[in-house]
Amino acid sequence: MDGILEGKNVCFAYPGQEPIIRETSFAFPRGGLVLVRGPSGAGKSTFLRLLNRMETPASGSLAYKGRPLDSWDPVQLRTKIILLQQTPVVVPGTVAKNLLLPFDFAANQHLSRPTESAMEQGLSEFLLSGVSLSDHASDLSVGQRQRLCLLRALLLSPDVFLLDEPTSALDPESKGAVERIAEHLCLDHGLLVVVVSHLDFSARRTSPLNFSLSRNTLEESSR
Amino acid sequence: MNNPLYIGNWQLALGVIFIFFAGAASLVHKLGLGKDLAVGTVRTFAQLFLMGYALTIIFQLTMGWVVVLIYAGMIFFAAWTVRGRVTEKQVRFFFPTLGAMMASYMLVTILITGVIVQAEPWWDPRYFLPLGGMVVGNSMTAISLSLDRFFSDLRTRREEVEMKLSLGADYKEASRDIFASAISAGMIPSINSMMGVGLVFIPGMMTGQVLTGADPMDAVRYQIIVMLMLVGSTAIGSLLVTWLVRRRCFGPAHQLVLTRSLGGGS
Repeated sequence: MDGILEGKNVCFAYPGQEPIIRETSFAFPRGGLVLVRGPSGAGKSTFLRLLNRMETPASGSLAYKGRPLDSWDPVQLRTKIILLQQTPVVVPGTVAKNLLLPFDFAANQHLSRPTESAMEQGLSEFLLSGVSLSDHASDLSVGQRQRLCLLRALLLSPDVFLLDEPTSALDPESKGAVERIAEHLCLDHGLLVVVVSHLDFSARRTSPLNFSLSRNTLEESSR
Repeated sequence: MNNPLYIGNWQLALGVIFIFFAGAASLVHKLGLGKDLAVGTVRTFAQLFLMGYALTIIFQLTMGWVVVLIYAGMIFFAAWTVRGRVTEKQVRFFFPTLGAMMASYMLVTILITGVIVQAEPWWDPRYFLPLGGMVVGNSMTAISLSLDRFFSDLRTRREEVEMKLSLGADYKEASRDIFASAISAGMIPSINSMMGVGLVFIPGMMTGQVLTGADPMDAVRYQIIVMLMLVGSTAIGSLLVTWLVRRRCFGPAHQLVLTRSLGGGS
């Protein structure tokens, strides 16, 4: 196995309950686009939460850059492996305030705060050219907020994006935009992007690695 | 100082007339409160006389450690009451609450009796226990308010907390706003009472002192100290307890362990 993110015989269960994930092994390469499909309730969100240590596996091992996940400082790790939740969460205030939010955290102090022009460039890169930095984030549409959250994460220069049902709340146009951005992140920024979804993902520029999560375990699938 | 007028047994019995008024109202309007009224009246007599006897004995105590032990018992019951009032089943908060209350209120009360009131000795039960009792009683309410607010906000704003965690916030940074609003929820009632005191209400302790013949100007001085100590002790209590309990809501990897409801998500 030579992935940037690897798992070996990973099992997870909430205390006193049936396992949600069992005996799952995988190796996800740097710069890859990984699509994990499965019905709702199959444990897709839990799978992603294991990868950024929001949950801890009951047994098995996870590794990032060849080092066990739990040997990394959890807070630093989450600036490298960023999970984006199903519903995009913004804080009250402007688009600029939202983009700069993570730079107030101690773990991100070593990063230089993006300039206004860098943020504006990011907005257009993420198909948000109509949005200005002084707009209120809560006035944006769900699709725009989703892309704003993606940009906010990218400004931290992570290695891995974990996207939890990124398109399920979106109209077809916004869905297409997020799909293009996901491919853009892999191809042009060299990031590993892991997408879990019960929806299809129409890849245009990449050939994704397909997995399915059903019966509590991850399996490679043909599409 | 004038001696207060003594209330004899007959006068005390006469006081029950007020209960008859309430009982008549209950009968006429079929409120069905008769039984509760009777039980309540008996309990008032019994509990207060019991307390009176206990205090008579306690006030004669000459051993400091017994007074402190009694105070520790009061704090324990206050922490137990907080445990009952806050409806949180997932995170255990009794021991941090007890520990924080014990440490801070011992200190606060010793400061009040020893340094400000300058009771001699500092544990003189006549000062130590009533003043300490007010500290603990008010803080108990404040701590319950703070914890209740903290747990419920952490649940309802879970997405926001996890968003911040996912972008490299540690657990303190991710819960900063929620922590602050929980503490102010605990502090606001005692601050508000500083605004209304003397204009909207005459505080119970002062009423008592004036009735027993104290000069109102002297009673005012006590009341001011009491108001100040209550603001201070509710602040310390809310802050310390919420601070200790917050750590328990997050795991070693700075992950939120509080689930939306018991049983966890998908």
